[in-house]
Amino acid sequence: MLVNLVGTAIVVVLMDSDPWMQLQLPWLTPEIYSFILLVFGNVYWVMHFSFTNMRLMNIEENRKLLGFGFPLKRLAKYLTVIVFCHPVNIIYNFTWLVFLLIQIQHAYQIPVAIAAVALNYVLIYSIKSRFIRVVEKRFIAVVIGFLFLIFGLFQFISLLTSNSGQIIAEFIPKIETINLVFSWLPGGILIQTVTIDYGLTNAAIIFTFTSILVGLLVLDHFNKTKAGLLNPGLRKAEEESSKLWIVLRKILGRNAGKYYFYVMKHPYNRLQVLTLAVIPVVYVPLLLNVNYEIAQTILIPTILAGIPVALLAMGMANMYGYENREFLLHLQMPIKLEKQLKERFLGVIVLPLLVFYLITVFELLVIPEIGRPIEIFVANTFFFLMFMLLFIWSSYFQYQKATYSSFSYKHPIIPQKVTFAISFLIFSLGYLVFVPLNGLEWYRLTIMSTVIVIMGIYLWRQMDVLVNLFKNRVLMKLWNEL
Amino acid sequence: MERAVEIKNLVKCYEDEAVLKNLDLQIPKGTIFGLIGPNGAGKSTLIGVLTGLLSFKEGDIRIHDMPLNSDNELAIKRVTAAILQPPLLFEQFSSIEFIEYICEIYEIEEDGLIEKAYSLMDYFDIKDFAKIKVNKLSSGSRKKLAFVTAVLIQPKLLLLDEPFESVDVISIERMKSVIRRLKEKGVTIIITSHILEVVENLCDDIAILHHGKIKAYLDSVSRKELQKDASLHEIFEKYVEVEKKENIVDWL
Repeated sequence: MLVNLVGTAIVVVLMDSDPWMQLQLPWLTPEIYSFILLVFGNVYWVMHFSFTNMRLMNIEENRKLLGFGFPLKRLAKYLTVIVFCHPVNIIYNFTWLVFLLIQIQHAYQIPVAIAAVALNYVLIYSIKSRFIRVVEKRFIAVVIGFLFLIFGLFQFISLLTSNSGQIIAEFIPKIETINLVFSWLPGGILIQTVTIDYGLTNAAIIFTFTSILVGLLVLDHFNKTKAGLLNPGLRKAEEESSKLWIVLRKILGRNAGKYYFYVMKHPYNRLQVLTLAVIPVVYVPLLLNVNYEIAQTILIPTILAGIPVALLAMGMANMYGYENREFLLHLQMPIKLEKQLKERFLGVIVLPLLVFYLITVFELLVIPEIGRPIEIFVANTFFFLMFMLLFIWSSYFQYQKATYSSFSYKHPIIPQKVTFAISFLIFSLGYLVFVPLNGLEWYRLTIMSTVIVIMGIYLWRQMDVLVNLFKNRVLMKLWNEL
Repeated sequence: MERAVEIKNLVKCYEDEAVLKNLDLQIPKGTIFGLIGPNGAGKSTLIGVLTGLLSFKEGDIRIHDMPLNSDNELAIKRVTAAILQPPLLFEQFSSIEFIEYICEIYEIEEDGLIEKAYSLMDYFDIKDFAKIKVNKLSSGSRKKLAFVTAVLIQPKLLLLDEPFESVDVISIERMKSVIRRLKEKGVTIIITSHILEVVENLCDDIAILHHGKIKAYLDSVSRKELQKDASLHEIFEKYVEVEKKENIVDWL
């Protein structure tokens, strides 16, 4: 919230068109100031739309109250209100109010701005509740579309930065037209409620009309919530073919194949694989165009070394969380637990290892400027093994049930502690491993090779105690989930 | 008499709390054995120990004359099938994929296995769900699927924890009929249930488990004797020392 408010204050107050600012920033003409406000307002609206949270609705859970005799109308009313009470929704709406009210020019604009913020929220809510259903039905298509959008945005920024002088020269004369377009986008319309002098009569008309619209939309939400409480999202079960299972079974065998099938069935993981495929395509060409040496010598190899690590994390950091209590069925099978765990363990590292080698070869052939072959190979191996240890530790000591809802806060696939450790370590290690040391390079190579050997031996020995770790750390938790 | 299961002095603890206390039990081969007891008596824990899912602190367990230890673990698992409560199924598979997977693990490779699977599914009215994902099935259908799979892997010892819960009346009768036919083939079936009428009609021998101990073992002879004067319900109440609590809810 603080970040939101500080950002708003910086944009509106510090970039105000007072004489002092005009002296300090002569390029900040009223048109450019409006442009910045409009860009901020519209980007902020997109963020508001993306982050509006409806988690507190939880119809499936809350409808159980009806079984205890809770009145339907009252429950629907409470749920309509409670969704707004999610901290994220409160923060965004409050920030809108602050952002608009500090720009106010006439007192009559205050009720109009408040009504406009309310209308904006209920509209976002209405659109989003319908949008979520579309996303559920066409998940992969929406994700690919989103990734292409991000890719396009990056390319646009890249073009803008490389030809900034020419673009600005062409852009400045057209700024008023651009401002006009932006002012009729959602964020721009909200800004217009406090920047245009539309008079008291018009304000009264806009306020009345907006309030009626807000009332009708809230009534619509209330009726939809009521209908949702009475008709839970039961869908007729449809036949599903599991081609992925057949393929994985052929490649990895019935045990590891089944495990990887479970990993890939999780919607979050499918999204992660797609993201991992797109990140290098977007970032690496961008960073290669940058003239800073640090970008090429540290950032590119760190990003590339992070890809197999992310795949490894996906499969290994919470190995029993995907199946959870289902794994007990594996224990009933007439196959040694040691064998099952080892098959899984090896199955899980096959894909990241393949990607690891592909990336190393890619680095050696396409971007040799990032280092010598031995340096890249040793550094990548060090990176990979280091994280493998972290994930083995996480699988046994940080076990938790992974639910099948994406981005679950309560039961994420990878425990939050581990996610934090990974994010922190990837860049710290990247700096340690890839920063050029020139004459001291051989010292680092020797240290990394020694640690690799130690980690290799440790991992080999750890394979023999996987079963005990499983029995001591995970089994009772699985049994207790029954 | 040959024993399918022989348990001597079994102690199972959860942390410091003993759930099964010096439990002794012998179950003859080829019988339908009913294990009854109130909630928290230790029935599911005993099933968990017999399936090898839970370790135990003390005692000896022999299943089909093989001591339950790491040396015989796989041989015992090969001849044992268990349905826990709630049943364990691979949720991301379709029903038929689940059956195929389990049969493959148990190395059941006879001709016409899939036809048999379909006919059993048909018998229990779940054939239409053959290609539906397990996690979309109702709780009754899940139980029936687990039962069908357990039958197909041809066990010598079948452990059923609350097998009739959430199952419709018609299917309960069909399950009972299959259980009786398995018994005729020499399979030993251990059933835990809270439905005393079903246990009374279906089981040969019955044991009452309470506070982690067998309070009574009723074989066919002793049952006849005892049930002359009292119903199974009354016998059960006597052994679990049901406390009269009517006065607590006098306010009703």
